[in-house]
Amino acid sequence: MPTGVIHDLGYQRYTGDRYGRAAIVRTLAGYSLRSAFGLGRGARAKIVPAAVFAIMSLPAVINAYVVARGGSRAFPYDTYSYPVRVVLMTIFLAAQAPELVSRDLRHRVLPLYFARPLRPADYPLAKLAALIAACLIVLDVPLLLLYVGTIVGVHGGAAVWAQTTALLPGLALGLLWSVVLATIALAIASCSGRRAFAAGGVAGFFFLTWVLSEVLGTVATSPGTAVVASTAARVAGLVSPFTLLDGVRQWLGGTSPGVVPDPGRLWGAGYALLLLALVTGSVTVLVSRYRKAGAS
Amino acid sequence: MTSIELRGVSRWYGNVVAVNDVTMTIGPGVTGLLGPNGAGKSTLLHLMAGFGEPSRGELTVGGAPAWRRPDVYTILGLVTEGESAYAFLTGAQFVLASARLHRLPDPEAAARRAIGLVDMVGPMNRRISTYSKGMRQRIRVAAALVHEPEVLLLDEPFNGMDPRQRLHMMDLLGRLGTAGRTIVFSSHILEEVAEVSGTIQVMVAGRLAASGDFRAIRRLMTSRPHVFVVRSGDDRRLGAALIGRPAVRGVELTPDGLRVQASDYGAFSTDIARLARAEGIRLRELLPADESLDSVFAYLVA
Amino acid sequence: MLTTTDPPPVAPGAAATGDAVIETTALTKTYPGGVTALNALTVRVAPGITGLIGANGAGKSTLIKILLGLLPPTKGRARVLGLDCDRDAEQIRTLVGYMPEHDCLPPDVSATEFVTHMARMSGLPAVAAKTTAAESLRHVGLHEERYRAVGTYSTGMKQRVKLAQALAGDPRVLFLDEPTNGLDPAGRTAMLELIARIGAEFGLSVVVASHLLGEIEQICDHLVAVEAGRLLRAGSLTSLTQSSQLLLIEVADRTADLAGELGRRGLEPRPSGRGLLVPITDESTCDVIRDAVADLGLALARMEQRRHRVEELFRPAELAATPAMPATAETGVTHAS
Repeated sequence: MPTGVIHDLGYQRYTGDRYGRAAIVRTLAGYSLRSAFGLGRGARAKIVPAAVFAIMSLPAVINAYVVARGGSRAFPYDTYSYPVRVVLMTIFLAAQAPELVSRDLRHRVLPLYFARPLRPADYPLAKLAALIAACLIVLDVPLLLLYVGTIVGVHGGAAVWAQTTALLPGLALGLLWSVVLATIALAIASCSGRRAFAAGGVAGFFFLTWVLSEVLGTVATSPGTAVVASTAARVAGLVSPFTLLDGVRQWLGGTSPGVVPDPGRLWGAGYALLLLALVTGSVTVLVSRYRKAGAS
Repeated sequence: MTSIELRGVSRWYGNVVAVNDVTMTIGPGVTGLLGPNGAGKSTLLHLMAGFGEPSRGELTVGGAPAWRRPDVYTILGLVTEGESAYAFLTGAQFVLASARLHRLPDPEAAARRAIGLVDMVGPMNRRISTYSKGMRQRIRVAAALVHEPEVLLLDEPFNGMDPRQRLHMMDLLGRLGTAGRTIVFSSHILEEVAEVSGTIQVMVAGRLAASGDFRAIRRLMTSRPHVFVVRSGDDRRLGAALIGRPAVRGVELTPDGLRVQASDYGAFSTDIARLARAEGIRLRELLPADESLDSVFAYLVA
Repeated sequence: MLTTTDPPPVAPGAAATGDAVIETTALTKTYPGGVTALNALTVRVAPGITGLIGANGAGKSTLIKILLGLLPPTKGRARVLGLDCDRDAEQIRTLVGYMPEHDCLPPDVSATEFVTHMARMSGLPAVAAKTTAAESLRHVGLHEERYRAVGTYSTGMKQRVKLAQALAGDPRVLFLDEPTNGLDPAGRTAMLELIARIGAEFGLSVVVASHLLGEIEQICDHLVAVEAGRLLRAGSLTSLTQSSQLLLIEVADRTADLAGELGRRGLEPRPSGRGLLVPITDESTCDVIRDAVADLGLALARMEQRRHRVEELFRPAELAATPAMPATAETGVTHAS
């Protein structure tokens, strides 16, 4: 005798495992990292990250070609892509920091996050981790490409080791740049829900401080102002995060010429402290803003 | 007594026909403008308010077109959708500004009267930024009433108001309508429209589907049998007796009572008491089930 | 011959244990600047579907923030499902699904992607989040449109997505803030039916915040009425809409004749709106009315046992008075469509 069954399609409770707050925050960071590269959005969202990454990797590609032809490494690790990297990072952050925070502000999605098992302060920290990671990819992966492109052309363990020891400071600097720039950019972007304002704010801040620092630096190096010049040059370096970062690189022992002259031991320490202040200040701004948003 | 007349009015934006060949007359009293989202209600209100010219047809307010006639605003008051009000002004200042813009002879008195009408005298000296949504709506109504317009157009006026404010506003509109003003308001909350006034204009996809009192409209739908719910001492026996009557098309036993479809409304109503008595069945309740504005509306837009 | 097995019996609606879903004790919140959003609010929300009326924006958002543990109260206490809102906030947030009143959906993602992401934010692992999101979208009635960007949706569809994200976290209690906001009548009916179904069949408790008394009466089992931050009244819908021992009778015409006849038979009708209100003296009152109508050969249009309405909490008007209809001629026109 034929039989039949009607299956119960009613609402079923979920009876499996649930992740705790830590895993949720990690998931949010991972999701945001994908957004930082435009993954999961349309094609348009991928243009800027892809272009920035491509241009940043160009020297590494050229280097691979040069090495294949029998030459030696064409570019440094620690000042890789100077000074173009200033422009590239400004563009990247101006485009992607708003993508991470302004979008949710604009569309008032935050209450949905705050009604979930994560703390209000977790949200900006997850976004920050994602942006730092994104910057790290943009800054350090090309270095790795440079490295790989070089060591295929060298012979002997000693040569490889030499390349490796040269690479590592470059990677560390990439991390430093990522932390500083991402933190500042995110703090600025979180001030506005409108993409254009946030992007303008980020780009404006980095660009204007850079230009100002350049101008002051040029004034400082005009002939005939020796002693005053070096102090003035050091002061000029305080104005822009990029110059601060480069100054700290040289303070830490980097010898390749960069965008600012070597600040020396005392000033170098001052640069480092200012960077620390900028980072902690930005993080504080971010966290307190979202904590307030959760409670207001 | 001012009326709004539309004759063959259409309005299109490119290929989008927002209003399509609408002919209606809205007279004194309160009229509800109903329709699904996107049916053209807001566009119609815009045209009535003189904010656009009909692409075709004629629209007049008090005998003359509303378009390009700045002095229509002496007889017209308008409360648009949304919550636009200057947040930095106090309620009193906002209404006073409206009174001054209308060049009233005694703006302060007019403003005070309007604020009293909407029951906002208490908070009137606080800034609008401190008002709740419902309070903002009320102050905007006051600003629209300050010049005592003959015609009042409101787009979803109760939005954001809590129950007490709603009841108060419904009373106010009812009173203004009874006093002879011509009031048109659009709303999705049909039970409120039915309570303020049974007169409706229903728009569906840009066309006018029905006009007038909704109960009379229901009676015009002769192809639809009227549905009643009857609760009696013995539903099954009453149902059996009813199905034998020519005026009854169908009978359904539900846990809620007996649902009766009457193809002849008049005959059924006259029959029911007599039949119940003849069968010795106690009649507890007889409720029309599809005469509410909700049902009429659902039938019209189906 | 086909035999079928019935679907397994539906899980009983809300837990019948009588534990309060939400409980506040003298809950007070004052903001700097003197605004008191909640004023010694003491209320117990029972399982089932509960309507929250009368709270204005500040009171509502303050209450939900305190219940979610995002805001500490100035005074008093609040508990959700037996957990303290101050101490166990994070645990509460795994058990509550929240549907805000305002627009909160980013326009450039699909419903599927958004609800899945939100399910993961509720702690569900990746695969479970996917399947739960798909099921939630099915329950709220979104089908192939779920793969399109949310920005292309109508208001009704957006409200459903908001509801789906609240369901996808597998909550025990749903808080829906004005769920029919912006919906046209058909959309409201659909949303109310959905909420009623959720309350009855899904085993969740639902709190619906609304200003619309009609819909509260339609779907809620209980009611909490708040005004100016304090409790106005709380109770079951049945207790608030009890019969008032009055019968409303409407006949097509000759109402005055009916009134006279009923008077002669010992009842005390009085005019009301388009009909008569007759106090119910005993069981036989409706028989007397039936017989009078039959004897006079009148067309009976309505015989309704008047009940109290929630509206009375906000308008202490005479129950007897139904609003007088404006004296316009009752004509109607249907236009051939």
